[in-house]
Amino acid sequence: MSPEKTSILDVSKLVKRFGGFHALDGLSFHVVPGEILGLVGPNGSGKTTAINVISGLYAPDGGEVVFDGASAGGVASHKLVHRGINRTFQVPKPFLSLTVRENIQVALAYGGATGAPSIAELLEEYRLKEVADRPAADLNSAQQKMLDLTRALATRPRLLLLDELAAGLNPAELDWIAGRIKALAATGMAIIVVEHLMGFIEQITDRVIVLNAGKEIFEGTLATAVREPQVIEVFLGGEHAH
Amino acid sequence: MTYALVAGVLFGLYFSLVGIGLNLVFGVMRIVNLAHGDILMLGAFIALGVVGIAGIDPLFAVPLAFVVFVLAGVLLYWVLVPRLQGSANPEMLSIILFFGLSQVIEAVTTIFAGTSERSIQSRLLGTVFTTIKVKWFGGKAGGAGPIQIFGQGFPAPWVIAAITSLIAIALVYLYLYHTRLGTLTRAVMSRRDEALATGIDVDRVSAAAFGIGLGIAAVAGVFAPFMFGSVTPAFGADATVTSFAIVVLGSLGNPLGTALGGVVYGLCYMLVQTYLSSWADLLPYVLLIVILLLRPSGLLGRRVRVA
Amino acid sequence: MHNASKHLLFILAPLVVVFALLPGVYQNHLLLFNFVIFLILAQGVNIIYGFTGYLPFGYVGFFGAGAYGFAIMVMHLHTPAPFAVLVGGGVAILLGLLLTPLLRLSGAYFAIANLAASLAVLHFVANPALEGITKGPYGVSLTGTFNPTHAYYAAVVVMALTVGAVVYLKNSPFGLALQAVREDAVSASMAGVNIIKMRVIAWLASALVAGLAGGIYAWYVSVFYPDNVFSGEFSIFAIVFALFGGVATITGPIVGVLILYGIYNLIGFTTPQYFQLIYGLLIMGLVLFLPAGLVSLATRRGWHVP
Repeated sequence: MSPEKTSILDVSKLVKRFGGFHALDGLSFHVVPGEILGLVGPNGSGKTTAINVISGLYAPDGGEVVFDGASAGGVASHKLVHRGINRTFQVPKPFLSLTVRENIQVALAYGGATGAPSIAELLEEYRLKEVADRPAADLNSAQQKMLDLTRALATRPRLLLLDELAAGLNPAELDWIAGRIKALAATGMAIIVVEHLMGFIEQITDRVIVLNAGKEIFEGTLATAVREPQVIEVFLGGEHAH
Repeated sequence: MTYALVAGVLFGLYFSLVGIGLNLVFGVMRIVNLAHGDILMLGAFIALGVVGIAGIDPLFAVPLAFVVFVLAGVLLYWVLVPRLQGSANPEMLSIILFFGLSQVIEAVTTIFAGTSERSIQSRLLGTVFTTIKVKWFGGKAGGAGPIQIFGQGFPAPWVIAAITSLIAIALVYLYLYHTRLGTLTRAVMSRRDEALATGIDVDRVSAAAFGIGLGIAAVAGVFAPFMFGSVTPAFGADATVTSFAIVVLGSLGNPLGTALGGVVYGLCYMLVQTYLSSWADLLPYVLLIVILLLRPSGLLGRRVRVA
Repeated sequence: MHNASKHLLFILAPLVVVFALLPGVYQNHLLLFNFVIFLILAQGVNIIYGFTGYLPFGYVGFFGAGAYGFAIMVMHLHTPAPFAVLVGGGVAILLGLLLTPLLRLSGAYFAIANLAASLAVLHFVANPALEGITKGPYGVSLTGTFNPTHAYYAAVVVMALTVGAVVYLKNSPFGLALQAVREDAVSASMAGVNIIKMRVIAWLASALVAGLAGGIYAWYVSVFYPDNVFSGEFSIFAIVFALFGGVATITGPIVGVLILYGIYNLIGFTTPQYFQLIYGLLIMGLVLFLPAGLVSLATRRGWHVP
């Protein structure tokens, strides 16, 4: 399959510096609609920075982000949301004094999406129905993550970036959310997952990209990745050596 | 020109003293002490009291004001701050809380002292030195005359205030960098959450910083009648804004940066006063806004303050 | 019935009717006028602080700018008063535009910079060098347009518009989005909200109502000095009234003004320092014991307060 024709996101030679530190150092990859791509790598390898650049929180210092055929590097977040990119946050920051329902209403009203799911559907599907009229401040952290996800889904993204969505969920919740993510991909949504839980990554991704020091060092399935000496060296090696 | 520059440095050192306490409080507690100027005003009234009641050199008001306000500060800290830190938005509410405190201080002072302008004859400041000089070395008694610097005469109180400021800044430096409590204070300033997590008694450190901050403000207040001519109970509000301009110049949260901010402010103040006097009133405000917008972390700082 | 219509019918309409009829039965018209002015200013603070989280410590800057916009139109161009009031609002919007860079600052930095800005405008207007335009520190006298009755009703109209604006914010996705930006700007932008545009709109709206109030104030009093219309007390009172009632609600600032400004006038002007003392203590007690305002007494019990 040729990425140029079908991919919805093309990242090429992306560079992001913080002071003298290269958080991203020439990263290139692509995603196609309906695909679930995993970004894995040790802490500080640039996974979250990549998501922050693609979602418009940071402007890249070099390279290109092309979304749906048009340049998306350095474009303001809310415009990217309108074009069909959204994301969740590792530490979700919902609008604490607003109710769960109002949190979702903001995204429905300003997300610029037509044919977005209804509030009732979202509340039901992400297990927030019981707390719909409570302030977001009352939610536990797993519920806040689900609210963050519904905020993103309410804008009906075609590319969804999930930053550590699974961290802190219990095994039953993990199985359930894995099923939900696969169902979203089945509708044609492209999904990029940043995650530390390898079992979860293995369960849901079609393909992973292993990052180290802001560069790609491997691309393929997780099953192959774990047999790659270079990957074991920088990533798994670091943890298993002790 | 030389006169304006030297006067600017003298005033600037004094302005550092005016601002440093405010900055210490903000740096450690993220609390905006809008009553800062009123503490200065109270310091000035201690000086007035020392002269009016005891009839001695107002310099004796310096240790008195310091001790009284360190104690008052520690007490006030325990009454107000823990409750404030528990609220949803302590930084915003602190502004309003301390505004209320400033109103209370101004009102109480007015009730006891009236609204008239009060000043102290400038020759009274430093008489302790001339008395000693006369006793030990002979010569004629009386107040200190102008002090010669680079061939120009400057009022003795300006020089005495500048020297006191230098000493106070040096002491703050020693406190922060060479005492255990000071080291903990710096830890709390840079990472309040982590300091809490590592078991530092943040409240004790903060109470000390709050007390010292207020103490220094009161010391600065002792010199206010000499530097500004006179004081009234309403003096506090202007002094607060000026202090903010100084502190922001030097970077909020970095007490030693305030020394630099004070001198820069003093120089600007004197130069504008000399060459553009009708616009001099605008200076602190415009300077404050320009610095906030162009160099948001102050002249020395690195801290980001945008949302 | 829709919530917004309920709010208009049961909050805004009675308020307007009461203040439109009161001058007929109550003699102290200046006091009524001041009530209306503070209702406008407290709701103006509510728009910018309650809904977006920026504490406008120099809010009076817009009020004073409106008053001087009015004065300059009347003195130099001899325009009719209502037109001059609109110009006063326009001047406040211009000042607001000039100050939009301040919105880059957050928390205390914004509050202090805004305070400094209002003092800068005061010293600018009061500068003797501008005597030809603003009359400098010597104050203006606008006896030609003096008409307290018309000015009073103009104030009631502006109050109605301001409260109407808050009703809109309380019942619209726009108001929700503003609050979302206040709570977390990054999450709000990822909900598709253009955070800069939202903040600027709220800022200019609150500037406009203060400017209109300032223009009407100038019309009503007709003789004033820079220190009068740039007095920090306007900012402080408006903020304290709004906070006391509870911000980000429609009724909070109204209740705050009616109770606190009522108390203010009961303890009266005869002993300003005792008044200041009580006021200072009240503010401190408010922050320490009721930081979310009077309405939080009701919301804590689960009652909904519009």
